[in-house]
Amino acid sequence: MKMTQYYTRMGDGKRVQMTREEILSDIQAGTADAADMAGIPALNDDQIEHLIDIISCQDRVVGVAPGKEVVMTYDIGQLDFTGDNGNSGNGVDMGRLEAALLHERALGADTFELANSDYSIKPVKPIISMEKQTMEEIQQEIVAPFFYGAMPNMGLYYAPDGPYQNPADLMREFKIEESMAASEAAAEHLARDIEYVGTHIMAAGSDGFNFDTTGSAGDADFVGTLNGVKALRAACPEAYINVGAAGESVMGIHGMIEFEGTVCAGLYPHQQAQVIAQAGADVFGAVCNTNTSRSLAWNLARSVTFIKKAVEDSPIPVHVDMGMGVGGIPMKETPPVDAVARCNKAMVEIANVDGV
Amino acid sequence: MAFEAESKVLFDAMVAVKLPGIVDAVNKAKDAGMPATDIINAMSSGMTEVGVMFQRGKLFLPHVLSAAAGMNKAMEILGPELAKSGDAGAAKKGTAVMGTVEGDVHDIGKSICSTMLQCAGFDVHDLGRDVPKAKFIEEIKAGCNFCGMSALMTTTMTVMKEIIDMAKAEGIRDKVCMMVGGAPITQAYADKIGADVYGETANDTVAKAKEVAA
Repeated sequence: MKMTQYYTRMGDGKRVQMTREEILSDIQAGTADAADMAGIPALNDDQIEHLIDIISCQDRVVGVAPGKEVVMTYDIGQLDFTGDNGNSGNGVDMGRLEAALLHERALGADTFELANSDYSIKPVKPIISMEKQTMEEIQQEIVAPFFYGAMPNMGLYYAPDGPYQNPADLMREFKIEESMAASEAAAEHLARDIEYVGTHIMAAGSDGFNFDTTGSAGDADFVGTLNGVKALRAACPEAYINVGAAGESVMGIHGMIEFEGTVCAGLYPHQQAQVIAQAGADVFGAVCNTNTSRSLAWNLARSVTFIKKAVEDSPIPVHVDMGMGVGGIPMKETPPVDAVARCNKAMVEIANVDGV
Repeated sequence: MAFEAESKVLFDAMVAVKLPGIVDAVNKAKDAGMPATDIINAMSSGMTEVGVMFQRGKLFLPHVLSAAAGMNKAMEILGPELAKSGDAGAAKKGTAVMGTVEGDVHDIGKSICSTMLQCAGFDVHDLGRDVPKAKFIEEIKAGCNFCGMSALMTTTMTVMKEIIDMAKAEGIRDKVCMMVGGAPITQAYADKIGADVYGETANDTVAKAKEVAA
């Protein structure tokens, strides 16, 4: 007798059919991979069974039970309307005020943010007064908490974009100490810029700051951001600060740089949560990247395993990052809604996240 | 297996990623009469393990570089013997031109990939980011037999196909292994544009490049 085939996805979004046994096998492999990498518990039999049910449900869209809904926020400001589809956008031109109100009143966003089109801290410095003006204007109309959002993006501090030598170039010349020194100098610069931009935008009435993709340039980027958050927290005790990560593991480009005695290279989400809370953040945006060559079952099981442990260990709420190529969702310009719905349901019901 | 103990010491020294320890292990193996090519092979196995540990987040980039520096030092120490046996070029697996394609300024993933390829014994010409298409072609014509192209944006990944098409038009496509990678790139896209290798991660790229070079 032919085994029942279930419609599901690969990590690149491709439609595939899998049997329940194949889904189970991939879930077991995915959770085992996360458990092995981070030294954390794999999902138990009940959680695996629940995940199979979510993935094999043949409804186009799935959801959580009434009363189980979680906080939902959006990043990149207006860009998800105005950006091209390569930037997760829809190519619909509109102003930043209209985008903010649409998110609040039509899309059900619990919080939203103002963002510069480059979406990085450094380019905001020369235009901070314009950003303050816009922040003030939108705050007059919006009811939902309205933040400023940007990526630390420490790559912009290295040659040819910035004043410090590129650590990767130095590494290839085996100049390891010089490479580390360049990373440390850039991290200090980044922390100063975060304090500068953060305190200015808070002075314009922002409810807080969302640091997006922290650590994208490696562990020094991560540490620089945490030092910036610490300074911002000291300057603005009332600021609501969300620190979102760049991946399930902090990349060790420096390898030894520390935040208050903790080496940050190689930290996994449950460990990232500790130092992010220590720096003064209110919310941790946990991230797990998608492997495009693996199935949705493998990716989602792996993501849920990392995030579940982070939720259990985190001293602050965890709002998991769910989107193109993260949280088990396929890496596709417009992520398929069946996969998006399943990943979100699993994060809420199995990983017990506080928000999305 | 001959020199089993020495092979293990060399492997362990590489995984420990301490330069003095690696040099010490190489000298001891050489003094014990272990053939230079066998020493290099044992170290290469250690280097592969270092790559795996990097991917698993157990070792970091400076550690990988320390192991690679040990590999370079071994080549210096063993150079005369390798030259005598005609294996002086044994460790060089190929020459790779690497770059983030025109219009794209993201280079961290590409740079890690370049470093890992270098550590694996490839001669790497890293052109940086926003690299004009013609530069890749020039490097292939100059002798690069691997061409690694990176893109982080869906708007720039199409440039990879243009470079592959340019290589075809120039009649040099068959002389080079075209490798692609970056966040929006998938195996399906690599197949669609006619690339030879899709690297999901830096380690995956190195493993596949080594297979091609073998």
